[in-house]
Amino acid sequence: MLDGEERESDPDLYFPHMDKIAHPRMSAVTDPRRLLHRLIVLLFMCLLGFGSYFCYDNPAALQTEVQSDMKVNTAAFMQLYAWYSWPNVVLCFFGGFLLDRVFGIRLGTVIFCLFVCVGQVIVATGALINAFWLMEVGRFVFGIGGESLAVAQNTYAVSWFKGKELNLVFGLQLSMARVGSTVNMNIMGWVYSQIAKMNGGNGPSTLGISLMIAGTTCVFSLISAFALAYLDKRAERILNKEQGKTGEVIKLTDVKDFSLSLWLIFIVCVGYYVAVFPFIGLGKLCFDQIFFFYLQNCFFLPSIVYIISAPASPVFGLMVDKIGKNIIWVLVAVATSLASHMMLAFTFWNPWIAMCILGLGYSLLACALWPMVAFVVPDHQLGTAYGFMQSIQNLGLAVISITAGAILDTRGYLFLEVFFSACLCLSLIASVMLYFVNLLQGGELNLSAWKRSKQESLYAAETEKRKRLRQQKEEELAKLRPLSAFGVRNRYLSRLGAQLPDHYSTHVSALAYRSVLK
Amino acid sequence: MYLFFFFFFFFFLPLFFSSPLRGGGSNLRIVLVSLEYNPGRNNTKEAPGLDSHVNLLHIRAVGHNDTLHYLWSTLGAPTVILIHTNTDSSQLHVNWEKLLSGNFSHAIWIEPVGAVLYSTVVIFSKIYEYYDARNMADLSKTPPSDFYPTYDLADFVWDNINETLNYQMLTGELRGRNASQPFQNGSVSFKISAFKMTQRDPILPHLLHNANTTKLEFVIDGILPQGNCSHFALEMVLLEKKEFDRKLETIRTIDDEYTPSIFQMAELVAVPRNRSDILSFLQWKMVAYKSPLALREHSLPCRQYPIQRENGTTLTSRMVHAFFGDGLEDYNVFAVNVSFGLADGVFYNSTRYLTWSVLIGYGDPVKDTFSILVISIMAIGLGTPLLLLLIGGIVVCYKRRNKFSDYEPIN
Repeated sequence: MLDGEERESDPDLYFPHMDKIAHPRMSAVTDPRRLLHRLIVLLFMCLLGFGSYFCYDNPAALQTEVQSDMKVNTAAFMQLYAWYSWPNVVLCFFGGFLLDRVFGIRLGTVIFCLFVCVGQVIVATGALINAFWLMEVGRFVFGIGGESLAVAQNTYAVSWFKGKELNLVFGLQLSMARVGSTVNMNIMGWVYSQIAKMNGGNGPSTLGISLMIAGTTCVFSLISAFALAYLDKRAERILNKEQGKTGEVIKLTDVKDFSLSLWLIFIVCVGYYVAVFPFIGLGKLCFDQIFFFYLQNCFFLPSIVYIISAPASPVFGLMVDKIGKNIIWVLVAVATSLASHMMLAFTFWNPWIAMCILGLGYSLLACALWPMVAFVVPDHQLGTAYGFMQSIQNLGLAVISITAGAILDTRGYLFLEVFFSACLCLSLIASVMLYFVNLLQGGELNLSAWKRSKQESLYAAETEKRKRLRQQKEEELAKLRPLSAFGVRNRYLSRLGAQLPDHYSTHVSALAYRSVLK
Repeated sequence: MYLFFFFFFFFFLPLFFSSPLRGGGSNLRIVLVSLEYNPGRNNTKEAPGLDSHVNLLHIRAVGHNDTLHYLWSTLGAPTVILIHTNTDSSQLHVNWEKLLSGNFSHAIWIEPVGAVLYSTVVIFSKIYEYYDARNMADLSKTPPSDFYPTYDLADFVWDNINETLNYQMLTGELRGRNASQPFQNGSVSFKISAFKMTQRDPILPHLLHNANTTKLEFVIDGILPQGNCSHFALEMVLLEKKEFDRKLETIRTIDDEYTPSIFQMAELVAVPRNRSDILSFLQWKMVAYKSPLALREHSLPCRQYPIQRENGTTLTSRMVHAFFGDGLEDYNVFAVNVSFGLADGVFYNSTRYLTWSVLIGYGDPVKDTFSILVISIMAIGLGTPLLLLLIGGIVVCYKRRNKFSDYEPIN
């Protein structure tokens, strides 16, 4: 979905006759070409993702409550996250396809949103009737919708904002996702306690009601999906605008062509993300138990990673763009995150320090790692590469979530942190190898931005030169081309002095190539 | 490149500084540990006038130049006397007739008399039960009116420990019941284990013990609580010479590998005044369990309260007077309470089971260290990238040099 932006055809093509069909009576709010209308669309787009991001981290926010009410250990608790990831191992490849070919963006978004809603309702019902397996089923259904919904959201963004405020919109959507997670982390505990007061104590029913309340955010998302579908349809009617497409082309056979560098990037990605997301899911409980003497309320602490990443991502993005040297940045990001995990593992230093460092590392990695794929994969395989990367990432998350829960149950916090550190070490090993592989193969991953742009201009000049050469060749060929029967006849007739229509001139074709005439 | 090396050294240093590989804290080398039940007594005849069995368990740990004697008894409240002597041939003597009579002073002694270097007593005197109306699980915040009648362990009837003794495993169990108000089938027991070597307990909280220590597992099993919102607490009374002091310390540790999610250890140590070398200790993880399986999800936090000091003369314990004599003016008495329970609205009544483990030992308390597994994972995890950097650096340098040497001079 990251690459969808580039391959999307220019939306100005969608509005070819917009001046002709502009309705004079339309106000700024209702006119799809005006900024105000787009802002309304943007509002719905942000709301679209809010529900799924809010509910995704519900278990983390209510970990203690879930474990005590449903009487499950941490390993079983982490299944809630694993079940979210399982469907996405496969869906990463098909989400774009389903949106483009099967449902279309409007229907697709509504369907994925429905999955999210129904999933959350099933999760809440599972809690209500005290059936943990049903909660897991719910998370599975939720997972089917959740990740694909993000793809749909990006597609909508591209189709409405391409060539206008697209980067800002992407940034806003990401921030909205972080806001969703953060609000959830900070409010669900309070909601639960209020329900517990009304319901007369803790218990599965209290948990169920809390989760149902959380589910209302999904209903808002569903309403937004309908609203977006309507607005998009309306824009199509007024502006002859096509449905947005992800434009993703996935060919699984491309996998065999992936280079060593790409595989190393995959390892870095998996090793890194499995040490961050499951940790954030488990973090609250750990901090509650270890650092209680520092912190009265540490529910806020795990979400600091997301909060930091919201402002830090654009800054780091700009920095990486300007400086280049992606592998060095990846190394720095992995190393700082490793330092943060080791701080949490072996010291009693205030966890705020470690979590802030982790937040910075996380933002830096996202900015430096994901664009690297585009350097080592030809454009037509980009969709497959990104799909594959997300798929492996989800697989890793599913497996490691369960493992992390089991480790916390049997070996404790220290060992869990050591385990996460080991994952980061693996990531570090892969990035060091990537550095040398790139150095030895003379790849362009680690070039500075200046060299990269120089190379690009060199490359552009080269292609230009080649193009011109080719053109010249063609022209020479054209000069030598034997005349067609038609041409021969015309020439003959003109020699005879016969009157020919203007457009029968034999020189017209030569005129087209002025350079030859010079 | 040098930047990376700097980074990695930065990582390595805290690792090695933060993992002090301190030894097991043993300053005694034990060569022989043995159990002895009612030493010197013909066990067929029962003591007159006592409902309870006469239990005196003698654990003798012989080192190269010294001996540790642990005397466990249920004459009165469950009591353990810890005696350290400077010879490997010190013997325990009991004058049974005197011990079981009214004049029990000096009925127990060690020969040679001058060999005793240090002795201390721990008495498990009372079990408190309180009504936790405000759901605090905190003894100090409970008003006196919320306490149910206290169980005085001196009034309990104790089973014969001989039937539970395992001379190979060095274990025994003191099991007692309340004589006046029978608690259905419930009981209070003190499971005692001695050890021949440094090892870790197979069950949670996986305490690390050595031959200098004895493990005590305190269990309240199946007692009918006096109310629905009951929590329990145990009172321990300790006796020390006036020149020694008892200190209660809570030690924070990030290493919960053996006791997941428990990050605190409590140590009740005997130290000479103005010095810091530890003579003896009680050590426990701040956790109890509410089921016999002692699973992590059955853990209950335990909480200890500040030491109360009293004069030694207030103590009326048969075992103490039998060993130390009547004049206890030179001794101080320390009382410590430990309460069990979580302030989450779940009370003893939910499982009617409670178990808590504590180590009693001579010398320095056993210190936990990072396990070999943790250290090796970190070493491999951090060493491999470092090694790769080194190898990669060498390879790249080599290749570059070759490449440059291929250039022909221009002129």
